[in-house]
Amino acid sequence: MSEFSLTQPWLVAEGLARRYRNGRGVGPVSLRVGPGEVQALVGPNGSGKTTLLRCLATRTSPTSGQVSWFGRHDRQEARSRLAVVFDATAHTDELSASQNLAFFATARGVDPNLWESALEEAAVAELASDPLSRLSYGMRRRVLLAEALVGDPPLLLLDEPTLGLDVSGCQWLAEAIRIRARTGLATCISTNDTDFVEQVATRVCFLVDGEAVRDAPLSELLAELGGSREIQLSYRGLSPISAVRAIEGVERAAEAEGGLLILARQRDGLLPDILATLGDLDLHLVDLKVRDPGLADCFLRLTGRALHD
Amino acid sequence: MTERSEGVMERAQPRMAGLTRPRPTQLWQLELRGTLARRRALLIKLAFPLVLVIPLVTTGAPPFFAGMLLTVLIAMVGTVGTGVTITRARGSGWLDRLAVLPLPAWRVGLELFFASWLVDALQATLVLVVIAIAERPDPATLGTTWLLALAGLAFSGAIGLGIAALTDHPGEAMLYLAVVLAPLLFLSGLFTGVPAEGVRYWVAQILPFSYLDEGFQLLLGGNPPYGDPLSFLIAAAIVLAISLAATAALGRAILARTG
Repeated sequence: MSEFSLTQPWLVAEGLARRYRNGRGVGPVSLRVGPGEVQALVGPNGSGKTTLLRCLATRTSPTSGQVSWFGRHDRQEARSRLAVVFDATAHTDELSASQNLAFFATARGVDPNLWESALEEAAVAELASDPLSRLSYGMRRRVLLAEALVGDPPLLLLDEPTLGLDVSGCQWLAEAIRIRARTGLATCISTNDTDFVEQVATRVCFLVDGEAVRDAPLSELLAELGGSREIQLSYRGLSPISAVRAIEGVERAAEAEGGLLILARQRDGLLPDILATLGDLDLHLVDLKVRDPGLADCFLRLTGRALHD
Repeated sequence: MTERSEGVMERAQPRMAGLTRPRPTQLWQLELRGTLARRRALLIKLAFPLVLVIPLVTTGAPPFFAGMLLTVLIAMVGTVGTGVTITRARGSGWLDRLAVLPLPAWRVGLELFFASWLVDALQATLVLVVIAIAERPDPATLGTTWLLALAGLAFSGAIGLGIAALTDHPGEAMLYLAVVLAPLLFLSGLFTGVPAEGVRYWVAQILPFSYLDEGFQLLLGGNPPYGDPLSFLIAAAIVLAISLAATAALGRAILARTG
């Protein structure tokens, strides 16, 4: 990885936009990802994060703006230095993990004999000789990620990388990215798995309806939530959202995951006030959870919308 | 290596021992091995031309009709083999993966085509083996008709790739293939014969299916008005060169279309 400049960003998008005929799409967005950085693109479904990642991954041409990889605009040249994981788990399913991995390694100019260590790292070495069609979806996702990580590419682009992974799979992937980031790997991740983003990202770009509404370091975004609490309500009855928004200290409230997600400044009497309001509405409270706020709450605060509907 | 991974590797050793055969490093190898691994589908693929050709040669079907049917078979095998395979590959996200590899688009197009063509060529070869056994034809006509069949498969494969650059749905690809192939087969004189003069005569001279039809007719004891081994050989060489060039050129269009 030392063959590239360590002081310049390796991935740069300037005014990048990809618009479709129906007007949907993404952009303009500008971002820079330098060596050792992990940029997360976070937004709800349809926010344009996958379209943006496909542009960054050379798969889709932008309708305006430009992308450079390692200081150059040559897409074909960029492909020899980047590894991409899309959301589809497409393989030659009749063949084994080692056979598929050997092909992808060779195509990327990596020693195909590294398949063994790559599958071992992804904890699928035991299944190396089985046809992929016999593996579970989660195992095939691990193979897919191993194919991207083999040979330590300098730039990694991942679309929904935690899709189908179990807890240990997510931990393995987060660790794999963190270890490689220490040696210079630049990563861009498109996801709405905020727990994973909090584990690995150095910077987060929030996307809503194709627009970048905020791009900041993860630490800065989380620090802004200091003194706030996230309250999740599950209830039966009519939505209490209007009444809850009127409670002192409530910054944002949105319908989410079959209940109500509230972001509020911590103060004495906050919870009793909320419970009293619900009681006044004759609402049947099913569950109530209070926790420290996270990235999803940053999104709620910025947009007034829940990240997960 | 961590303790945990050492344990994993120990358990994996017996299975790893079976992994000594060479792994595919080229796209066409990967695709071909994938096709060969689908044994039941492969068996059906290889059997269905035989189901057509064996009754034709054993019952002494009129060479005009038998030649027409076998030429239609070759045209369909080539176009469907590549057209539907590519549209399926796009739908599954496979082409997305190939498109971001540092492989030139022309090479991806050629390798996908080549893997499909090899299996199609095996189907065509079986047809000619059956004819050779049943009819004992002139070796020069047999050899050049075989080459024509391979070139015809390449030509129809290139058509299949062209269709795959226009649509994302295998069903729609089948429809397009029928719309493109039907007039080509008609203009090749398969249904009516080739007229002695006029535009249709000249159009038939540039379409490979007309030569292939004549080749099959000759092999089956027919007496078509045109066609000889030398013209078959020249036609096969030209068609093959054009088909390969078209395939390479279509690589970019196939990868540029996103599902």
